[in-house]
Amino acid sequence: MKAAPFDYAAPTEVDEALALLDEFAEDAKVLAGGQSLVPLLALRMSRFDQLVDVNRIEALRGIELVGETLVIGAMTRQATIERDEEVRRHAPLLAEATRYIGHFQIRNRGTIGGSIAHADPTAEYPAIALTLGAEVEVASVRGRRRIDAGELLESAYTTTLEPEELLLSVRVPVWGARSGFAVHEIARRTGDFALVGGAAAVTLDEADAVARAHVVLFGVADRAIRLSSLEAAIAGQPVDQLDLAELAREATAELRPPSDVQATGAYRRRVAAPLTERLLRTAFVRARRAGDPTEEAAR
Amino acid sequence: MSTVEKPSAARFVGARVQRREDPRLLSGHGQYIDDVRLPGMLHATFVRSPLARARIVAIDLEHALAVPGVVAIWDGSALNGDAATPLWDWAGEGTPFPEVRALAEGDVRFAGDPVAIVIARDRYVAEDAAELVDVEYEPLQAVVGRELAEASTGRAHDGIDTNVAWSAASPTDPALEAAFAASAHVITETFRQQRHVNVPMEPRGLVAHWERGAEQLTVYASSQNPHQDREYFARVMGLPEHHVRVIMRDVGGGFGQKIFRTREETAVALASRRLGRPVKWIEDRQENLMAANHARDEQMTLRVGVDADGVITAIHASHLADVGAYPLMPAMMPGFMALEVLPGPYRFARYGWAGKSVFTNTSGISAYRGPWMMETVAREIMMDVVAREIGVDPAEIRRRNVIQTEDLPYTTPTGREYDRISPAQTLEAALEEIGYERFREEQARARAEGRYLGLGISTYIEPTAGAQGPTGIEAATVRVEPSGKVNVLMGTGSHGHSLETTMVQVVADQLGVPIEDVRLLQGDTAVSPYGGGTAGSRSAVIAGGVARISAIKLREKVLELAGHLLEAAAADLEIEDGTITVKGSPGSSIAFADVARIAYYDPSRLPEGMEPGLESTSRYSAPPATYANSTQVCTCEVDVATGEVRLLDYVVGEDCGVMINPMVVEGQIAGGVAQGIGGALLEHLAYDETGNPLAITFKDYLLPTTEDVPDIRYVHVETPSNTPGGHKGVGEGGAIGAPAAIVNAVADALAPLGVRVTSQPLSPDRVLAMIDDARSA
Repeated sequence: MKAAPFDYAAPTEVDEALALLDEFAEDAKVLAGGQSLVPLLALRMSRFDQLVDVNRIEALRGIELVGETLVIGAMTRQATIERDEEVRRHAPLLAEATRYIGHFQIRNRGTIGGSIAHADPTAEYPAIALTLGAEVEVASVRGRRRIDAGELLESAYTTTLEPEELLLSVRVPVWGARSGFAVHEIARRTGDFALVGGAAAVTLDEADAVARAHVVLFGVADRAIRLSSLEAAIAGQPVDQLDLAELAREATAELRPPSDVQATGAYRRRVAAPLTERLLRTAFVRARRAGDPTEEAAR
Repeated sequence: MSTVEKPSAARFVGARVQRREDPRLLSGHGQYIDDVRLPGMLHATFVRSPLARARIVAIDLEHALAVPGVVAIWDGSALNGDAATPLWDWAGEGTPFPEVRALAEGDVRFAGDPVAIVIARDRYVAEDAAELVDVEYEPLQAVVGRELAEASTGRAHDGIDTNVAWSAASPTDPALEAAFAASAHVITETFRQQRHVNVPMEPRGLVAHWERGAEQLTVYASSQNPHQDREYFARVMGLPEHHVRVIMRDVGGGFGQKIFRTREETAVALASRRLGRPVKWIEDRQENLMAANHARDEQMTLRVGVDADGVITAIHASHLADVGAYPLMPAMMPGFMALEVLPGPYRFARYGWAGKSVFTNTSGISAYRGPWMMETVAREIMMDVVAREIGVDPAEIRRRNVIQTEDLPYTTPTGREYDRISPAQTLEAALEEIGYERFREEQARARAEGRYLGLGISTYIEPTAGAQGPTGIEAATVRVEPSGKVNVLMGTGSHGHSLETTMVQVVADQLGVPIEDVRLLQGDTAVSPYGGGTAGSRSAVIAGGVARISAIKLREKVLELAGHLLEAAAADLEIEDGTITVKGSPGSSIAFADVARIAYYDPSRLPEGMEPGLESTSRYSAPPATYANSTQVCTCEVDVATGEVRLLDYVVGEDCGVMINPMVVEGQIAGGVAQGIGGALLEHLAYDETGNPLAITFKDYLLPTTEDVPDIRYVHVETPSNTPGGHKGVGEGGAIGAPAAIVNAVADALAPLGVRVTSQPLSPDRVLAMIDDARSA
């Protein structure tokens, strides 16, 4: 369990990193927190000629509210995000979901950019990016661009990032008033990859009808997926008149999740329904509470 | 019940003395295999078969040998001949056994089978080269699956024309059948237990150093028994025993996996002798999960007859074990042990059994903490099945059957002789501690709310300190050095089980010296007397017993000398805190250290005929077995929408005789319970139908973490054994009792749904499937 030989560079500037990525392209790999890459290298399941360690690039760290967007540097550690006040206030779902990532030792090293770029189909951050409608900002020597999370996640461990591109930051939109969120996972043990996980973000209008809803499941396909038909079915509907159990069952009936040594695909599909129902129920309760001035004051 | 006389100044035995090895281990100064660095040391890795069963057509080493830094690569045909004998051979009448060689030769028999050893300047280079060893395989039909092996058209081994490794049964017994016929109820059920791995934190490993001038092999071993290792290496390498030295420093756990030396370790020793240089091999986790020995993988069918009140009238037990390709112990062991121990804590007269073990193309079976524990799994789950079937409370059915104090001495149907046990007391103690009646009320309320709570009980007798052959005796040399400080030399080892604390407690009490003045030296065959090492929960009983005997013997000499010096009778003296005083005359005393100095440096002051120095060596031959008993009770909640199981409360009532250190006792229980929780809920070294292992990293082989193990509460009952310190073993009971307690708790929770739980692990998908099956039935 020793990695195959590789060359290693640890630039301190983004431009240096981009130059290396440009030079080595698919023979290079960015080393972020290393919580997935290092085991894969040690098991020789992955091998690269050149590692580009971006841990020393100060510009990739930090959390900043810019207008209505929370901009989080790609190399910001999960543990930082978990504890950050701005994140708790403006993207509480992100803070809540972080607690499901591994154990604190892992979160001390793991980064948001690394997690999203790795695109593990059972991981939390790609799913939360999708739920909140986040974008990532990426760069190469040829320039910068932004990619919507839905466009970024292609399949298992695969994104639409080009080999020369470096993920710079994650741009999380702040959801407005009367929004509520929920995240939950079913896992074999605390901290394990989810057998099935999900997240929901909803906004209610003044009449407690659904103004906006994103519902995402992960661990059920080759990437985190939005339950678009469910979202469409509840859009504009008064919350109290929704048969959430039935809607969740319909929305998950066509899933074909993978089987592995931890759980069968049939199990994953089966529990996706109660999980989805629970997510929406919690998100609705929280959205109502978020719109209640007395509750707001109490917070 | 008799009580064992405690030493006159028992300050340490029975106290929660802090572990003396902890400062070293917790500050990162433990000395494990990977900490051993010798000048000129090389590193080994293995090329392993990716297939479960195949013919080796060709092995091409050319590219691998060209990697800079590679020193040697040998396959089986090149290296195996260096061994003087087969590595082990458990063949007997009707029990075939394959020839065990260091490396595969001609064919491979499980995925992970070592095919070649690569020696290089470091492990990275060795692995680079191992990748380039080109082995051409011709796949053969693999024998996989405990229940499929016997009928398989494939053969696990060349040269053995059956996959049945052992098969036996008790003689036909008309009285047994008559007892079944007369029973009010006869219930039959089969219980299955999946394949586990011991998973010591430190995997297997060694540094072997062949010293050419001295013609000596020195082995730094990650072992449970250095003296048996010495005998092993001497035999397989054709060396006289006094030219082999085995040094066992800190060992990061073994749990049975490190009792026997294995093929890879042998290959490393042979390689060192060829090269005349030290060679290190430290197994990585993937190798450990794939190719170190596995455990459990068995099933037991019980037929139980009870009368109308639920009193057992007869039991027939039938066991089937998959022992893999190269079991480390005789193929009969898992079944024979389980069947023999099965009567456990209950009174019944009629018993019959049948056992069978099969070879498969999987990693071989070895011992794992309570290697016979299928008896408790099957019997205790069955007790609940019977209780539900006939409508008796599960605590009550145990009360009606458990051996009472007035039944003692009691001989089981398999001839085990119990005395000085207290299974009824530990059962009641555990039930009381968990609040049995209160829980039943809480459970009823929860059910009314649609929540599923359950409680499970597991009662058992733990045979400990089995004393036969190499493990029958233990020795201790207690040596007071000239300064009065005390070295204790024993054939045990530092293994995580606290002997550096407990043995010192025993000796310090007898010698009346401060505990800091006593140190245990162990694990080095050049230093310590022959000992059986760690296995079968033997240390407290046998090692603790002999430490006490040897210390008492030395105490007598100390007192004789002190009496001579103080002109008092030895019987009138007492030793306390390093000072020897004439009872009742506090002014008349001498320091323990002064006695020691005189014993070594001033022989003219010794009594006539007394040998100088202060040292005693004793050997103790223990009784065939010493029985501990225990009941574990736990509660859980099952989420019937997701199949998730959450343990809520956990109690262990235990009688391991006189406790040397209750903290150590509880640590032993806790560790075993954690492993049992792993087995009941999480761990499964699954193979697919081609013999490909599916859980060879910790992502897939799931161990319980601190978050999965509830706080455990303990109730201690102390019934002294008839051994020198009154101790009983306690090393395995936690692991033996836990799976049945947990399975019973889950089954109890789901009882309203008609679920019968008969297999593990209780993963969420399996729990949901069981609920579905019960609903559709």
